[in-house]
Amino acid sequence: MAGATIDHIISVTILIAALLVAMTTYNHMFATAVDYDRNRQVATKAADLMNTICLSPGNPTDWGETDTSLLGFGLQDPEAGGYALSPYSIMRLRASNSSGDSQLVYYSKTGLYYNNISANYGNSILIPIGDCVNYTTATELLGINKTYGFRVDITPTLDISISQVAVSPPHNHLILKVEVRGSGLPLSDATLNYYLFQVESGGGGSYPSIKAYSGVEQTDSSGSVLIEFDEVHESNDPYSFTVYASLSGVNGVGHYSYDTVDGLELVVPFIQDFDQGTVIIAHSFDVHNYTETPVPEVKYNATFFVLNQNFQLQEVQIENSTGHLVYGEGWPYFTTQLPASEVGLLFVSYRRDANRMGSVILPWGIGTLGVSVSFGGDPTGYDFVATELRQVIINGISYQVKVSAWKLGS
Amino acid sequence: MRTVEVLFVIVILLGAFVITTQFAVLPSPSQAFGTNLRELSQSTLETLDAQGTLSETVFKDTSDPAWGDLQKAISASLPPNVVYNLSVYDLSADSQGVITYQLANSISDAGFGADSDASSLMLTSPNVTFTQDPQKVGESTGQPITLYILNCSDANGWWITGYTGQSLASDLYGLLSPYFTTTVLINTTDQLGLLLENSTSLEGTIQNAVVVNTFGESVPIPDDYCDGGSHDDEGFDPSHDVDGTYAKYFHTLGSLTRQYNWTWVSIVGYPFYYVTNTEYFVSDQNTYGIYGMEDVRTAGVNAFLQGLDGASYSYDETGTASGVGVVQLTSEALELCNYYGVYPAPYQTSSRALTQSIESNYHLDRFATVFELKSGRIAGATFRHQDGSGALTAIGLTRIPDIRVAALALLMYYRPTIYRSEFGASGTSRLVTLQLGQQGGT
Repeated sequence: MAGATIDHIISVTILIAALLVAMTTYNHMFATAVDYDRNRQVATKAADLMNTICLSPGNPTDWGETDTSLLGFGLQDPEAGGYALSPYSIMRLRASNSSGDSQLVYYSKTGLYYNNISANYGNSILIPIGDCVNYTTATELLGINKTYGFRVDITPTLDISISQVAVSPPHNHLILKVEVRGSGLPLSDATLNYYLFQVESGGGGSYPSIKAYSGVEQTDSSGSVLIEFDEVHESNDPYSFTVYASLSGVNGVGHYSYDTVDGLELVVPFIQDFDQGTVIIAHSFDVHNYTETPVPEVKYNATFFVLNQNFQLQEVQIENSTGHLVYGEGWPYFTTQLPASEVGLLFVSYRRDANRMGSVILPWGIGTLGVSVSFGGDPTGYDFVATELRQVIINGISYQVKVSAWKLGS
Repeated sequence: MRTVEVLFVIVILLGAFVITTQFAVLPSPSQAFGTNLRELSQSTLETLDAQGTLSETVFKDTSDPAWGDLQKAISASLPPNVVYNLSVYDLSADSQGVITYQLANSISDAGFGADSDASSLMLTSPNVTFTQDPQKVGESTGQPITLYILNCSDANGWWITGYTGQSLASDLYGLLSPYFTTTVLINTTDQLGLLLENSTSLEGTIQNAVVVNTFGESVPIPDDYCDGGSHDDEGFDPSHDVDGTYAKYFHTLGSLTRQYNWTWVSIVGYPFYYVTNTEYFVSDQNTYGIYGMEDVRTAGVNAFLQGLDGASYSYDETGTASGVGVVQLTSEALELCNYYGVYPAPYQTSSRALTQSIESNYHLDRFATVFELKSGRIAGATFRHQDGSGALTAIGLTRIPDIRVAALALLMYYRPTIYRSEFGASGTSRLVTLQLGQQGGT
């Protein structure tokens, strides 16, 4: 009798142990399968989001060119179709940094906060926050609110870096080195269409003027080229240099500027009305926390250049092209109006005195200056983030779009 | 003893586990996705050709430096861990139209691992212009046919919800005018009177013409054919219905269709159900609040068919059309949708399909059947009199109208040839495939 009991106890113990081992093993297998299935859902969602964002213009289709509210989210250029994104719709995205936070700029004279899409070179696209599409709205329109998070990173395909080359006396003319790189590789034999706008004093107390230089060059086997400007002094003359590189259907843009205003950017252009193309030209002391006294008065000269499909810049006359900006209350800002349906560059040269001048550029359409934009949430901390990558064109400039998606909640 | 049994159980459990793990090989959760290489490849090809650069390059000689530039451009576009192979195939067609693909050139930067995918893009030479010229209807017989579209400003439509007769006339003009030597818009009911009287003041040739009524179930009627008009004996029948009926007008239309060998087209709904003239029927409405028209109801189509048959007028209220629900395009219609590039929805709802018995009653032959017959009824077809004089194209669908169905029905009936440039001609088209492979981890 006792032997049978011990036999039972041993057998039950062994059975339970075997069951536990089997259940643990199967649980691990099931957990792996569940994780795989969930991750695949996220990957599928990332592909869906990419298709919606890149291959749908949204609703209304021209929402990027108007102030109207958005009913469907998509960034495709409705006129071009395919993998072409609207240069305007992207400007209306409430941009975020790598942490998913927005960087806002407050302008006291309008009492508005402005969305800040920063170019690499210090220039910004500032749009009233009320005209922008925020992340929450986008997730609601995409039907993923509170279920999935996403982030879109739109970056130029070509990386174009520009630097000033030091020259030895007695030479003092300007030499710029342009380096074009693709995906980690230098891009040789690329055709460069360049424009240099030299800011000139204009004499006396008058408004500044610009002197334009343009030309075509080609990169060498190292993907770089030196461009010399014999009539421009390397340190005394402020200038703004823009170059468009192209090779066999891949196009990029680079920009470099040099000011003689002791590091103070004195003029800030804000987009006032997206629909009408009106732009505010403001004194920067009303925007930034500069402390210099007395506050300098500034005279500006604004010029708009339309960028055509051959990467040629064509000057267009605009109203209030010159003005005298004074800091503080009682001194209004100036407004000008751009041809809203044309992409291009608003080039504002400004003059503090005969020796201190500079310039600032407002790109109208993000491709015109190769501006990068990030929009969406922060994927940090999520176990699994699926990404999709596509090539797109934004007003002729090659970009890459990366969409990241992740599952929210458990 | 129990221990032995348990050991058996354990062996069975372990055996089940081993067998399960043999068959259920689950991938790691991190392998749930890789880079979507096919879409990346497609977007790369499309963006490279956005300004026609790729099209220019792939038609150049293989020794041209443009190929080297293309190689650099692709390398610059793709992520460093993605390798590629771009192959270009020349298309050529033999005398029997069989297209063959021959490799013209190929460029790549490395060999592929296991993970690769590809997409393709058909490119046409920038030096070639592809054209598409339709043959004009009647051109092959030496008797070009005129298309008359009723666009009367003094008429109202019914069963064309969402449109006006004028807007449909405009759409139809765009769809069909390339197929006709002469297309004439009939802009008033007075002009319609000229058409009915075979007036030489109208442009085009009235004999053998196609007349399209874009007003749906209502048909414009000139003043002269209304009660009290100079031709009211050809338009108004005072002895039937409560206060007389305009069924006789439709008999006249049927007779003229026979006399002039017209093809009369009813684009939607119950044919010949109302007459419309906004100036004459100012205070008359169709019981649905649409003024400027008077109902003839079911007697209208019967009177028209009597006229088409050469029979004398006899008031007949027999219902000739009714609903059959969802109908689908015939295989012939689907094939010709592709040929003419007209793509209405293949499934439509028919609420006014004509009964098949009209074919025997009025000596009609049916041609160009647009929809499969259902319950002995015909939702869309052209009925030509067996004498060869006159035809009626009737589309018995419900509203909202799709004018493309009427256009398709006419094209099916007349079958104009379309002369297209040959895409398969050697040197005009090339197929580009871009295969991408991923090296290293995802």
